[in-house]
Amino acid sequence: MNYPVWYLPFVGGGTLIALISIVHVFISHFAVGGGLYLVLAERKGLRENNRALLEFTRKHAKFFLLMTMVMGGITGVGIWFIISLVNPAATSVLIHNFVFGWATEWVFFVVEIVAIFVYYYCFGRMDPRTHQAVGWIYFIAAWLSLFIINGIVGFMLTPGGWLGDGNFWSGFFNPSFWPALFFRTFVSLMLAGVYAFVTTSFLKDTELKSVMTRYSARWVLLSLLAAAPAGYWYLSVLPNQARALVEGASPTIMRALHYGILGIVVLVAGTLVLLLLKPSCHTRTVSFLVLAGAFLFMGAFEWTREASRRPYVINEYMYSNAVLKKDRGELEREGFLHGARWVSTRAAGESNLLEAGRELFRNQCHACHTVGGINNDIIARTANMEYPALLGYLGRIHEVRYFMPPFMGNEAEKEALAYYIVKGLHGKDFKVSPEGTAAAGSKGKELFTGHCIICHPESLIKERTARWDRRRIRKGLDKLSALNPAMPDYDGTPEEKELMADYIHSLKTGAGESHDKGKEAFDKHCAMCHSLGQGVNPLLPRMSGWDRERIRKSLDMLDRLKGGMPPLQAPNEEKEALAAFLSRSLQGGVR
Amino acid sequence: MNTLIPTPDAIPAAWGWFQVLLMLVFPLHLVLMNAMLGSTAIAAYAVLRKDETLRGLAWELGKVIPFLIAFAVNLGVAALLFLQVLYGHLFYTSSVLMGVFWLSVVPLLIIAYYSTYLFDFRFPTLARPVAAVLICLPLLIFLAIAFVYSNNLTLMLNPDVWKAYFGNPGGTLLNLGDRVLPARYLHFIVGGTAVGGLFVAVLGRVRKGMDQGVREAAERVGMRVFTVLTGVQIAVGFLFLAALPRPVLLLFMGGDMIATLLLAIGLVTALILLMAGMARRVWLCAGLALPLIYVMSFMRDFVRDGYLKPHFSPESLQVVPQYSPMVMFIVVLAAGLAAVVWMLRKASSALRTTRK
Ligand code: HEC
Repeated sequence: MNYPVWYLPFVGGGTLIALISIVHVFISHFAVGGGLYLVLAERKGLRENNRALLEFTRKHAKFFLLMTMVMGGITGVGIWFIISLVNPAATSVLIHNFVFGWATEWVFFVVEIVAIFVYYYCFGRMDPRTHQAVGWIYFIAAWLSLFIINGIVGFMLTPGGWLGDGNFWSGFFNPSFWPALFFRTFVSLMLAGVYAFVTTSFLKDTELKSVMTRYSARWVLLSLLAAAPAGYWYLSVLPNQARALVEGASPTIMRALHYGILGIVVLVAGTLVLLLLKPSCHTRTVSFLVLAGAFLFMGAFEWTREASRRPYVINEYMYSNAVLKKDRGELEREGFLHGARWVSTRAAGESNLLEAGRELFRNQCHACHTVGGINNDIIARTANMEYPALLGYLGRIHEVRYFMPPFMGNEAEKEALAYYIVKGLHGKDFKVSPEGTAAAGSKGKELFTGHCIICHPESLIKERTARWDRRRIRKGLDKLSALNPAMPDYDGTPEEKELMADYIHSLKTGAGESHDKGKEAFDKHCAMCHSLGQGVNPLLPRMSGWDRERIRKSLDMLDRLKGGMPPLQAPNEEKEALAAFLSRSLQGGVR
Repeated sequence: MNTLIPTPDAIPAAWGWFQVLLMLVFPLHLVLMNAMLGSTAIAAYAVLRKDETLRGLAWELGKVIPFLIAFAVNLGVAALLFLQVLYGHLFYTSSVLMGVFWLSVVPLLIIAYYSTYLFDFRFPTLARPVAAVLICLPLLIFLAIAFVYSNNLTLMLNPDVWKAYFGNPGGTLLNLGDRVLPARYLHFIVGGTAVGGLFVAVLGRVRKGMDQGVREAAERVGMRVFTVLTGVQIAVGFLFLAALPRPVLLLFMGGDMIATLLLAIGLVTALILLMAGMARRVWLCAGLALPLIYVMSFMRDFVRDGYLKPHFSPESLQVVPQYSPMVMFIVVLAAGLAAVVWMLRKASSALRTTRK
């Protein structure tokens, strides 16, 4: 609100930050561990008086120089650029609070540059003791850079005492400082081994290749072993909320962790192969595979670290959308637009619902949501929601989904935002009734619409609870997170839960829905992943021109179509009804 | 008062400290940036001419350029840091308005950097057209980056044009409507290349390991570039001065004693440099150019303050003092510089005794 929002409807700033920082982290950790690898490999060569090994070290130093100085250094500047573009307010907090931390880090950066240049260009031209000393200076400076950055990055996740006293050192030596430092140090040593696989794969001398490959494999495995307890320690100091997100409450983190685990598996398997088998198996392909595994692992770690901080950019202080936590109450009373600088309208009213809603979206939601774009698209996320449901949801987004900041604004602004999403983005026509939220139908249905429709259509619940009796449904409502950790618990009163249970139970008997067998089949089997015409993954456009015959046939072989669909397991009548329904819809019938 | 100007954050030490640090590192960044730009331009020229000696010069420059980039970037980081402490709220805003261009600096720089390394490491085996591409590409990129910087650092001084954001929030604005921009950009490019020429000449003097003919070529071409462009630069400087908004211009016309004095010193030094350049007095030129760059940086500071006068001055920043981190910085800086000096001395003696 203090700064303009860079509006990137398709990619979103978050994706850009992730891209640049994952690449940077993958190289900058190598820049630390790889320094130690160089000195120790050189020492090994000196002790064994092995010229070939020394020559290998020199070549590795060249690769190291090109990788860390150019990609590492410039992407580091890149992170700084991108965070100040996407979240200038948070960047400003980091710069102003830690300016002398950054300045100190800059000194280490200078020392690193000079040291690595001297190390590489004087390789074999300097007396070995001095040369080793230069290598050590490099490594120590690089590790101290890590030390400094680690304090500042950790501050964002666990600001600790800084929240109370605003003191540099309280923020710097924050609760996650030491575990993160150990974890990162070991990871950087692991990466030193992983990158060395790449250089060793280019070695022609099979004897040396086998020695250095095993040497590097030891770096990888030992560091991984050491990183595991450090990682566990790190997790254990996370604030409860962040830990809950990491342990399942956040769908994006779950996805990242799956990739991370895949990465680790590839990494360990590849390393073991290299360690145990003949060096002839050590091809460039294998080494790049291991590198890719490590990349996935680092990417998942970075992503998780960033995402577990949500909804904050600086925990408990500033939300991802740059609004300060302490301002919430005031914004709800006075309105958001009224005090924001970079908005085109100062208040929401009948006449400017769309404009006000758009400004609110950009200032409060665009930090994490794209508009029809590639990452966390708001259009796809709200496809199931009608205006009343969304309006109700906006009032509770932080309570329902901890990882989203609360909506901060007055009632009129909330309506404007819901209007903008439903009308402006989805183009749905509806009337804003004066009472606003009242959903049609029974009280149970109303509660259901307000709380559940957000993530799943009615038909899905119906399907999932098909074999449940009412008691089980009622009990499930007491602890939704036990059913699926990503589901927030329902915080209704016992009476409300009873009403809701009645309603869900009634779905089974069909009282709650209209009766079209084909539509029912669609909702049951397809709607989890597809919409019909508009919204997520629309089905109709893919079938344009198909007749009923062809549709019916394809239903028998879904698993052989593109897209990894499971086979449709349904009795024949149901498939017939579904085919009829789809064919009708295709001709512009029921939508 | 312009309502779009963000509220700045408090700073942890009196603003003068940051001003001093900024004015210490920024001119050094300029020196390196100039050396980088000039060396690249002369290397490109040397590759394009079909001449063996010049080809040798191109390679010698190719070996130096990656170092220059490394340190230009490094000092740029420091300058940007202190700039953000004092002027961050203005600078972030202008950066967002031109976000796409601003961010493109990063990939562009990576391409330029790798290109110069390829040029350096592969030079003997490069066909001439390939070598030409590998050195002209970075040159063009440097010129483009300079243009982006000129835009950003003038846009941040002009809050009155920021409202263009409401018509274009996608980060593709530039500050092209500013009539000072072309003169300012030219002033930096011409001056930068001139100083770069001088750097090449100095290189010819100090790199005793280079081939004698190449050393002479470095001095000859470098000094010619320096002298001609210094002449042009004096003219461009007047253009720039004349294009400045009146209140800013008046600062240099007696409105502010120090600013006026700086202008006078700068002008006289430039004229002496021009004559010394014609007389090929390399060391005299180098000895005068460095202080001149400092003088120009201070003038630039007056220009900035002149622009911002109606909107902001760093004295108004709230200070919440915490001096212990600054002590840490100063201690580490001293130790770091000692380590750097030690390593450079060891390196130079090692390279001298093992010259190939
Ligand atoms: C801090 C980041 C963040 C901000 C800010 C944010 N969201 Fe979300 N939002 C998310 C994430 C993450 C998801 C879940 C993504 C997934 O399921 O993979 C989500 C999901 C949603 C959903 C789908 C329902 C659900 O609970 O999964 C809606 C609707 C939604 N957001 C609306 C909004 C609106 C409206 C705003 C602005 C007031 C907003 N969000 C601001 C991160 C954010």
